[in-house]
Amino acid sequence: MQTASKRCLQEGWAASLRLRFAQDESKDTILAERQHKGPLAVQKALYPEGRAVCHVILLHPPGGVAGGDSLAIGVTASAGSQALLTTPGAGKWYRSSGNHASQSLHFQLGAGSVLEWLPQESILFDGADVHWQTRIELEAGACYMGWEIVCFGRTASGEKFGNGSLRQKTEVYCQGKRIWGEYAAINAGDDLLSAQAGLANRTVAGTFIVAGVVFSDEALSRARAIEVTGDAAGICGITRIGNLLAIRFLGNSSEMAKQYFIEVWSVLRPFACGRAASIPRIWNT
Amino acid sequence: MTQMSLTALPRLLQLSSPMLPVGAFSYSQGLEYAIEARFVHDAASALAWIDDVLCSGVSRFEAPMVARMHTAWQQQDSAQALASNALFISSRETAELRAETLQMGFSLVRLLEQLDELPQAQIAILRAQQEVSFPCAFALAAAAWNIPPDAAVNAYLWSWLENQVSAAMKSVPLGQVAGQRILATLGRKLPALAETASGLDDDMLSNFSPMLAIVSSRHETQYSRLFRS
Repeated sequence: MQTASKRCLQEGWAASLRLRFAQDESKDTILAERQHKGPLAVQKALYPEGRAVCHVILLHPPGGVAGGDSLAIGVTASAGSQALLTTPGAGKWYRSSGNHASQSLHFQLGAGSVLEWLPQESILFDGADVHWQTRIELEAGACYMGWEIVCFGRTASGEKFGNGSLRQKTEVYCQGKRIWGEYAAINAGDDLLSAQAGLANRTVAGTFIVAGVVFSDEALSRARAIEVTGDAAGICGITRIGNLLAIRFLGNSSEMAKQYFIEVWSVLRPFACGRAASIPRIWNT
Repeated sequence: MTQMSLTALPRLLQLSSPMLPVGAFSYSQGLEYAIEARFVHDAASALAWIDDVLCSGVSRFEAPMVARMHTAWQQQDSAQALASNALFISSRETAELRAETLQMGFSLVRLLEQLDELPQAQIAILRAQQEVSFPCAFALAAAAWNIPPDAAVNAYLWSWLENQVSAAMKSVPLGQVAGQRILATLGRKLPALAETASGLDDDMLSNFSPMLAIVSSRHETQYSRLFRS
């Protein structure tokens, strides 16, 4: 008879988390539903900036994701609710022993809701084989702000992404119409990693999407005035495509990527939802 | 390569000619900023940049989409062609890259409407769309003129390449011979790239070229520029 842990090793751990935020009669945002299966959980709802915005920290107690593991996170922000999600530390994606590890994120934003997905960086260990899928759906008047920072290899210790692969698919739909699609199919050793037009030998790539808001020229130029600091190889760029902003970072430091995104977020958030940025305390620990 | 009838060849040359009145010459797809940033500063670095964009970008998303749309139009499957059209448009990484493909697509549909021997019913379908990408209109014409899919994808890549080299010649600047050398060097790669692109599975499609996207984003605020992308 197989023990549970042995079965985990062979088949991987399937974890899922389903959250729904809703606005109550007094316009407070409450965590109306939470269901989890396997090693994914949330701490209690936090209200560091008043009751209108609910902050939640997503926990993945194993601390890392191995080949065969799957994470499925579904978050609904019902009409008018405002929620911010983050993670306590970097997501680690370990070397695969054969099977790929997967993550599926599904964010549904009801009318007039605000959902912020501001996780810490994801680190692809050398040999990791991962499939990431993110689908964001906005109804009228909703605003999504979310970033992903990917480190190719444990670069702090000089590791390169010499083996493994990444398949990433990110799509944003606004009232049923796809307004953004990014598709990455990268195998370790891929020319894309060194190509000047690709990753240009940088090891950290970040994309920050803000969707659902048409930013003014003023907001856009203020965001564009921010440049990457503290990373000699760092470069950034912002484009506005209708009601979507794509903010990109490429460099060698995930800390500087975070710092850059936080600065841009701090400029954009008041324009996007009328609130100053409220830095989650967990980022400072 | 599939045997192509000699009646189709002039059509293919017409479709991939820089004379095609769709305004391709006014776009550099970020190359102008790559020059500003000194990533590109001479013939060798121009070749390297164009090679990178071709191999890690264009041939992994745009070219496979041309192949898919060609097949769809050939099979009279306009729903599939339009689905690919929508996918392609939403995959363009920046405002300028999106505006470029839409303007060129719009212009090509208007042109095709006024040419003979084209399936006006299919063109009317595109005419009814709010947004038509350039590859979608290109694929329609190629399929209608009985240009085999591999030839169509090769020609699409060739006209893209020629346009990039022309932009490099104007802005690096480079001489005629240097330009022809880049065309010859990268031109040799096209058949293999086109073949791979045409057979690429959906889950291998990749439009992820982060530096290209950053360079194109930064081009939007470049102080002095000749090109619209």
